[in-house]
Order: sequence, then C-alpha cells, then structure tokens
Amino acid sequence: MAKKEIAASANNNKKLRTKELIYAGAFGALYIVLMLVIVLGTSMIPILYLLAPITVGLVCGTVYMLCVLKVRKFGAALILGVLFAICACSNAWFSFVGALAAALLAELVIKFGKYRSKKMYLLSFVVFNLNMACPYMMLSFARDSFLKRSVEYYGQEYADGIEKIAPTWIFFPILGFALIGGILGALLANTLIKKHFKKAGVV
Amino acid sequence: MDISVYGEDRSALVRFDPRTKFVIFISSLAVSSNSFNATAHEIYCVVLCVMLFLCGKKWNAVKMSLLLGTAVYVRTCMEMQATGSTVVVTIISFILTIFLYCFPILMSLLIITQTTRINQFLSAFQAMHIPTRIVIPIAVMFRFIPTVGEEWTGVRKAMAFRGMSLEPSAIIRHPVKTVEYILIPLLFSCISIMEELAAAALARGMDSDNARTSYETVHLRAYDYITMILFIAAGIWFFATGMVTGGAA
Repeated sequence: MAKKEIAASANNNKKLRTKELIYAGAFGALYIVLMLVIVLGTSMIPILYLLAPITVGLVCGTVYMLCVLKVRKFGAALILGVLFAICACSNAWFSFVGALAAALLAELVIKFGKYRSKKMYLLSFVVFNLNMACPYMMLSFARDSFLKRSVEYYGQEYADGIEKIAPTWIFFPILGFALIGGILGALLANTLIKKHFKKAGVV
Repeated sequence: MDISVYGEDRSALVRFDPRTKFVIFISSLAVSSNSFNATAHEIYCVVLCVMLFLCGKKWNAVKMSLLLGTAVYVRTCMEMQATGSTVVVTIISFILTIFLYCFPILMSLLIITQTTRINQFLSAFQAMHIPTRIVIPIAVMFRFIPTVGEEWTGVRKAMAFRGMSLEPSAIIRHPVKTVEYILIPLLFSCISIMEELAAAALARGMDSDNARTSYETVHLRAYDYITMILFIAAGIWFFATGMVTGGAA
C-alpha cells in the first residue's frame, strides 16, 4: 500500500509531499545532532577543531545520502542545507549565503543526473560538504571586525593568540578539508548503503 | 542537560506564544554576532535565563545561569591576574569565548525546543500564513532532535550489552568501524520512527490542502507584545552599536 503510493507520487508529482517534507526535516535533525556531537567532542583539541569538515563529512555523508536517496526529488538537499545554515552559520550573513549556495549547487548536481544517477548523488555530497567550511569564513573575511571584537572583549593577548593559530589564508586549507571530507564521506556512504540499506530495502 | 524531554509547558509561569519565542531567537542571532559590549551581553544572557525560568524549565534555567556565572567569573579572574602561561590562557579563553558567543543562541533554542509543543508550533505558524512546505521540516526537526538523543542512548546501551565500548582508544584505532557500529543502528531506528511519524501525520490529514483546525488556540497577549518589543529593541540596539564599533575598525 505504502509502496504503491510512493511510486505513484514519484511518477505524477514532482513537488515534495508531506511525507517527504517529514523525511527531510527528520534527517536534518539527525545531521545536525551528529554534527554538533562531533564538533563539540573534538573541539577540545584545536587541530581537530580545524579538521572538523573532514570528520563531519565522514560521518554525515551517509545521513545526507539516505535523505536524498529516499526523497529523490528537488528540495531534499536544499532543505537539509537550509536547516544546517540556520543552526550552524546564522552568525554571519556571508556564511549563511555560502552554505545555501553549497546546498543549491548540490541540488543542481543531482538534477544533472536526473535524480537517478548514482554517481551524481555521490558527487553532490562532495559539493554539499563545502558548507562545513562556511562557519570558518569569519576567520578570513570578517577578520578585522572579529579581531577588533576580540581585543575589546577579551584583551590584546587573546587576539594575538587567534592571529597566531589562524592566519588569514586558513580558509583555503579548510575548504580543501571540506572537499576531502566530502569525498571520503561519499565513498563511505556508498559502501554502507550497499552493505546495509540496499539489503533491507530502505532505499 | 536533559534533552530527552519533549517540549511541554505544564509548569510554565507565563505561557508565551511560539511566535514570541521566535522573535527571541532572531534577536539572539543579532546579539550574538554584534555584541561588542561585554556587560550588555551578560545582561542579555541573564534575561534569557529568566525567560527560560518563566517558561517552566526552572531547573535547567538555574543550571544554565550557574554555568554562565562560572564562565564570566573565570574570565574576569584571568583578565585581572594576567599571568600564567600564554598557551593555557589562550586555549581557555578560546573555549570561553565560544561558549559565551553561543550562549544566547543556545538559550533561545532551549526556550523554543523545551517549552513548546509541536501542535502549538504548527498552529502559530499557520496563524502567520507561512506555507506548510516551510513549516513542516522546521517543526519536524525540532520534534526530532530529542528523539535522536533517545535513540543514541539506546544504541549505546545495545553496544555495551554486546561488549563494544565507545572509548577514545577504540575510536582512534578503528574510526570507520566505530562510525559504522553507531551510525547504522541509529539510522535504522530513526528511519522507522520517521515512517511512523509520516503515517501519523498523514492519518491526521496533514496532506490535505484545506486549512487545518487545532485544539490548540494561540493568541498574542499583552505580555507577548511587550516581550517582543523589548527583544526587538535589544536586537536593534546591539546591531546598531555593533555596526558603529565594528564598522569603525
């Protein structure tokens, strides 16, 4: 019954229906909880904090992939991206726009594969994971106001510390980390989905 | 922090409208990214604790304000002393900065998720004439975050039962395997919950195009308007001063 309904809706309705909206919202919650657990768990060690795009990509790739594979319509990745942007990059408008742009690009990549091509789905996560770099944008692009605030708020010493830990070009390695994380996450997601979820008939 | 409780407002002293809570959230975003004045920022954080207290989560409010007090105390001490090794001071103040920076956002999220029931959410959004396409994902996300926490503890228990531990050494030695052991059961149980949730929502007619009726009536009362105006004013003030100080840099 349910299967028939899904098949029918996939054929004659290109827009998202309530069921798919619920899936997207719930996967969004999963994605965000996992991301927060990883980021907060690793931020004790500064190096791991900067490497967060890789670790988050590795773990959350499977969540993203299940979400888009279960919905298979325009909007799943976008909703996930918007929820991510609301929760993780709402402190600076350019991070927010960057995260949204990454989600939109991922959506376009999926569209390019006509919602059927597996390779395009995997590629879309590499693009999507670029949004993990967006919260770090502040360190490069709003550096002056960020440092000024640090001086005013926490003293010169702290601002010097930040300047030492994170040079201006730090954003580009982080972008690279996000790409690596996306690739690793997509590969892992591919293996796990083949191993577990295909067998169980989830996707 | 107890995250396994769904939003409820039985013990609320003042029942704020969900829309008011959203105004608080937006105002907190503005404050977090534009606060240059430490004292004003701390006052704002304290006000948020009071709001959480009024909304009924008294114990959580007390815990959060204690946490805030400790953070501010440690920071003041470090500023006054100005001794100690630079590395340690930098790391501690880095953690404190992030904590204080995130505090308003965290608190306003707690106010929204812990003290609002999902049907209040839906009817408040419907009263604002926001299309269901936007409302449903957001409402489901807030409903689902505690569920993920519950499933997480379940998976941890099941792993402990079969003699698999979640120690740091295990994570470092077999990162991919650990991820698989945690992620797969978590995803499977979450997916079945999602399916049940979707079925329940469809059975309640969420899919129809007609306007929904609800047991829950949401009204904006006088105290809602007053709170909204206060928080909007605070947000604008922080934004304006932030622009002046930040722009002059």
